[in-house]
Amino acid sequence: MFDQLFIGGLATGCIYAVVGLGFTLVYRTLRMVNFAQGQVFMIGAFLGLVTAERAHLPALPLLFVVSAIAFALGMVLERLVFRRLYHSHEVFIVGTIGLGIVLTNVVRVFFPGPVPFPKIFGSHVVQIGTARFQETYVWVVISTLVLVVLLHAMFTYTRAGRALRAVAADAEIAGTVGVNVNRTIALTFGLSFAVAAIAGVLIGPLYFVSFDMGDMVGLKAFSAAVFGGINSIPGTILGGLAIGVLENLAGGYISSAYKDLVAFAILLVMLIWRPTGLLGRDMPVKV
Amino acid sequence: MKIGKLVSAVGMMGCMAMAIPAIAQDIKLGVIAGMSGPGTSYGIGIRQGAEMAVKEINAAGGIKGRKISLVIADDASDPAQSVTAMQRLVNEPVDLVVGGFGSSQVLANMDVAERAGMPYIVVGATNPNITTNKNKWTFRVILSDSIQAEQIAEVAVKRLGMKRIAVINDANDYGVGNRNVFLARLKKLGIEPVAVVSYQSADKDFTAQLSRIREANPDGIAVFGTVPAAPAIMNQARDLGIKARFIGTGGLANEELMTLAPKASEGTVLTTYFNEDVDPEAKAWANRYVKEFSGSSQPPHPVLAAWEYRAIKFIAAPCLESSGTDKDKLRQCIGHWKGKIFGVPGEAYFDKTGQLIQQSVLVEVVKGAFQPFKGK
Repeated sequence: MFDQLFIGGLATGCIYAVVGLGFTLVYRTLRMVNFAQGQVFMIGAFLGLVTAERAHLPALPLLFVVSAIAFALGMVLERLVFRRLYHSHEVFIVGTIGLGIVLTNVVRVFFPGPVPFPKIFGSHVVQIGTARFQETYVWVVISTLVLVVLLHAMFTYTRAGRALRAVAADAEIAGTVGVNVNRTIALTFGLSFAVAAIAGVLIGPLYFVSFDMGDMVGLKAFSAAVFGGINSIPGTILGGLAIGVLENLAGGYISSAYKDLVAFAILLVMLIWRPTGLLGRDMPVKV
Repeated sequence: MKIGKLVSAVGMMGCMAMAIPAIAQDIKLGVIAGMSGPGTSYGIGIRQGAEMAVKEINAAGGIKGRKISLVIADDASDPAQSVTAMQRLVNEPVDLVVGGFGSSQVLANMDVAERAGMPYIVVGATNPNITTNKNKWTFRVILSDSIQAEQIAEVAVKRLGMKRIAVINDANDYGVGNRNVFLARLKKLGIEPVAVVSYQSADKDFTAQLSRIREANPDGIAVFGTVPAAPAIMNQARDLGIKARFIGTGGLANEELMTLAPKASEGTVLTTYFNEDVDPEAKAWANRYVKEFSGSSQPPHPVLAAWEYRAIKFIAAPCLESSGTDKDKLRQCIGHWKGKIFGVPGEAYFDKTGQLIQQSVLVEVVKGAFQPFKGK
């Protein structure tokens, strides 16, 4: 039973981690939390559903197309909505919560009930020891690894990535040395949308997709980011995996109805012990 | 209560005053259910059943020359929103409400109906606490959990020969109500369950619960939940290599079960509210219903539609005909109603608690469709 709970938890944890990366990306650049992140994940799942049904794309091109659309959507929404909100963190929080509710209800108009997602990653069952799970789990884990490597490479080796880091460190100075701050922030939102949308496509075939699927995942992904250290990419990944595994083990060994309670109680204790998260660093307040 | 009486008395005078000049004032029939959210497939069925019944009644000349108009309230399958939705129907004001899906929603919104003195016929919620001696205005036409869960326990042990039974239930009013009655009956039959686990309605991943069930190596699994969790549980159980047969009650009686879990739901035995093969009239109705709604964007969902249709056509309409829209007279008429309804073997009648007493129907999923259960 342990294998099953552990591996299942890892896969769910990867989803929390990838959605959590969206929180981390925006937070590193703006020091602000985008509470519509869970809904972006949901939008990604529906983009995947519609694209898969219309275009009959295989898994990899589908992931690529959906992340490209989501990236563009993130850039557009940054221009139309986020840019007008991020002058103050309070406004940004309330604004993004509102945006999340709008996104949820727009989807609800078109898809009032749960919809089955095509099995784009195959429907074979893989067996490791006594644990059995769908092929899709393997995709979830591998895609998470690939995403982390790609993001890391981008931040380290590309011009855009260096610009992102410069703006994250100090937007004003980055601006004076010639970094286009507005474009870099737009890029951040594009990226955060793209990763959340990929998570949506990955989870689609495992469950049904529904307009409310982003609410709980968004909450857990946010917790993953905070738990791991919201300014740290490896921290967020670790946080996601920890929550995924913890809630599954709690559900299997302690109480299935209260698995969230158990997982989050542990989380609370950890945060009291380490307020900046597992791998987070204190960020000095600049004056 | 006093205020409730006063409100209904004022409402009544209002109606009488209006009735003199305007002869053909429409009768307003409220329909409440989740037409979005997890309960959508049930709620759409309820709405379609109401539309069909009202269309037929109006085409035949209405109730004493008065047409019926529908007032639809979507509660988004959420107990809190359900209270607001019922309040809206009360404020409209409608003459009576026929509908309601989900025990948690109905337990929340029946309170509003009770306080306002609004006749309310529940078609889609099964928790035993809905019909007790406390409800004066609320009636229910589908069987409560206490009857269904007992029956399925008997069937599991005596007819399906299950010895190692596992239970997975939604932690809401429906799931817990069913589980408790089911476990009590199992105990009387001398059987201890091998595993009892629960989940939250919005859960998507059931690995934790199902891993525990797999460890227990059951030969039967009782699923007390609704769509979409129930078919997700069935799919994931088969992925984990669990081969045990599923059993359940009315929560599973939804055609979406086979759409969302086409392979995994095969062989499931459950109590249901309606099956078209019970009698020829039921068959004829089901054909008419499917024909009427197959063109629309939502596929037809006959199970609760059948009850909504029958509650309006066989109970609400005759009472409106004999008692008019006086809420108190209407309530008394419904409470004393007895008669034959297609799809229900024998005569049905309301007991003192407002529960419609009837014989239940047992079905099995065979080749992706509900068919009368023919096991030993």
